[in-house]
Amino acid sequence: MVIFDKKYIDNIIPKYWYNIIPDLPAPLPPPLDPPEGPSRIELSKKILPSEVLRQQFTIDRYVPIPDEVIEKYQIIGRPTPLFRAYRLEKLLNTKSRIYFKFEGALPTGSHKINTAIPQVYYAYIEGIDHVTTETGAGQWGSAVALAAALYKMKATVFMVRASYEHKPGRRALMEFLGAKVVSSPSNLSRIGREILSVNPSHPGSLGIAISEAIEYALENNFRYVMGSVLDVVLMHQSVIGLETVKQLELIGEEPDVIVACVGGGSNFGGFAYPFIGIYNGGKKIRFIAVGSKEVSKFSKGGYRYDFPDTAKSLPMLKMITLGSEFIPPPIYSGGLRYHGLAPSLSLFINKGVVEWREYSEVEILEAARLFAESQGIIPAPESAHAIKAVMDLAREYDKEGESKVIVFNLSGHGLLDIENYSSMMKRYAKAS
Amino acid sequence: MPIVAKLLVVYITLGFPSIERFKEFVAKAANIGVDYFEFGILPKYAKYDGPAIRRSYDYVRKLGIDTKEVLRSLKSILKDTGNVIALTYLEDYENNFEHLLKELVNAEISKLLLPDLLIDYVDLYKSYIEFAKKMGIDLTLFVSPSMPDKLIEEVSKESKPFLYYGIRPTTGVQIPVSPSILVKRIRSKVQSKLVIGFGLDENEISEVLNAGADGIAIGSAIINAIEIRVDEALKVISRVRGILDGHR
Repeated sequence: MVIFDKKYIDNIIPKYWYNIIPDLPAPLPPPLDPPEGPSRIELSKKILPSEVLRQQFTIDRYVPIPDEVIEKYQIIGRPTPLFRAYRLEKLLNTKSRIYFKFEGALPTGSHKINTAIPQVYYAYIEGIDHVTTETGAGQWGSAVALAAALYKMKATVFMVRASYEHKPGRRALMEFLGAKVVSSPSNLSRIGREILSVNPSHPGSLGIAISEAIEYALENNFRYVMGSVLDVVLMHQSVIGLETVKQLELIGEEPDVIVACVGGGSNFGGFAYPFIGIYNGGKKIRFIAVGSKEVSKFSKGGYRYDFPDTAKSLPMLKMITLGSEFIPPPIYSGGLRYHGLAPSLSLFINKGVVEWREYSEVEILEAARLFAESQGIIPAPESAHAIKAVMDLAREYDKEGESKVIVFNLSGHGLLDIENYSSMMKRYAKAS
Repeated sequence: MPIVAKLLVVYITLGFPSIERFKEFVAKAANIGVDYFEFGILPKYAKYDGPAIRRSYDYVRKLGIDTKEVLRSLKSILKDTGNVIALTYLEDYENNFEHLLKELVNAEISKLLLPDLLIDYVDLYKSYIEFAKKMGIDLTLFVSPSMPDKLIEEVSKESKPFLYYGIRPTTGVQIPVSPSILVKRIRSKVQSKLVIGFGLDENEISEVLNAGADGIAIGSAIINAIEIRVDEALKVISRVRGILDGHR
């Protein structure tokens, strides 16, 4: 870990989130109501906390982080540490210097809590006492459960049934933190009841869980909190990149390459956007978004208007998408299964500002193991995609005789995914 | 220094709620302080419009009103009202833009607003402006907060007779935004008259004028009112004109 003098620690946590919208290279296409049906944009006023919605459409470059949120950021352990991956460098025998920001050091094991806290806070100051959300693998649900606990609010988490049944650890974590965890599809919503009436043993999907969480919030005047894709979520996550800018500055390093994995884009956007929009170093930085080959939105997705949710309850967004009807294959990186990509990140990809790579599960399994053996941290399978890209980049630069500073975001640890790794090991042992 | 009146821009869907009531509304509204009318020509998909304006388009579509015929029949009224801006989506005219411009010229309309021009055709906007100009039509450009400041500054020089700044993602839906901050941010960059629209309530009208706007646009409120009676829509105009005149 890179050690910083205590006097700098408080200064590393930013006082403002960074909003990249005014610094985009082209107009960001607005959210859209589909040709038919009720206005989803109008409906979103009843779904999201009012301040979250206002921030979604703000063009302020810097948005103040409320003191109450900064206090919670400190409680959960921000700033998160920056590590130099000495042993990985040694393992690769590379001339490049590799750093990683470790968001897995946060209490629920991933970066998700960075936006769960402000979203729940904004619902809380609106006088709402109950938030709803969905979760697939459980990372986002755990973050919301913790954020709600910190503000003494209630949380109902609709958990995809397949995960609800097969990930009792994650479920227990959310319940331990006081959240009500509901197996989705459920009888708590109209859409859930309809699905169960046709197929009582339906395994569920993230799209159905989102729909249930939104419907449940609307019916009870609760508020729904969203884990990725929306620009406001990427803005909240900018604490990651802003801290990293400061941490690198304190040790006199300037990045050449910024790498992060991509599901909906909040981890990548939060980490990379401050470097894209406001970092004023002397080097031209490469930005690399890393996705899953099995959910190949970069190579096979289209850039078009699509719904962010399967039930089509939210406004359409112009994004790189595999289609809201896309059924992801059963890969173990739950956070990368999402069909779409945040509109701002889609624009950057479309304009060629951000490069992308895609890796298969078998490739990231090996990268995760090498990283764990060298650095002692088991990465989340999602984050292992970024690790694989970093390893490849270091080798590529070595071949060209170059030495670079490569910085990546280790968005989560993999201790709560260890059963997934176990399953992956069996799956690929059989294959070989 | 001369006192300059603030601009009132009124949107109405062409032929809504019926040809007669539409004509009656336009003739009367022109005499109570409307500076520009925007006439919405029925598009296939009013994608950047909100529920009220979409409802008006659906209604006109169901009535089977030939909106272009209405446009041509308006010449006599338009001579009195003068300042008319046609509004429709470029998406529908990608392949017959020239035909649209000719229709407008025939109807003696010299201004056109294409809400999707700078969103979906941003790389081509200059060529559309030039082409329209050659045909005798000025383009009134629409910008939104999510467009880069530099682009807003650049296009403001080309936009006639004003630049239209829609401060919300869609018309008539009051998504929480900070109107004065949004207006102040671009005021110094805009080198033409600046008109603000999209979901403004009456308090926000004062707010945006204080922040430096040259005028405001109303549409959904007019649609909602005219559905009740033409007089209701005229009352909205009188009320808003009063607010604008208080800011001379």
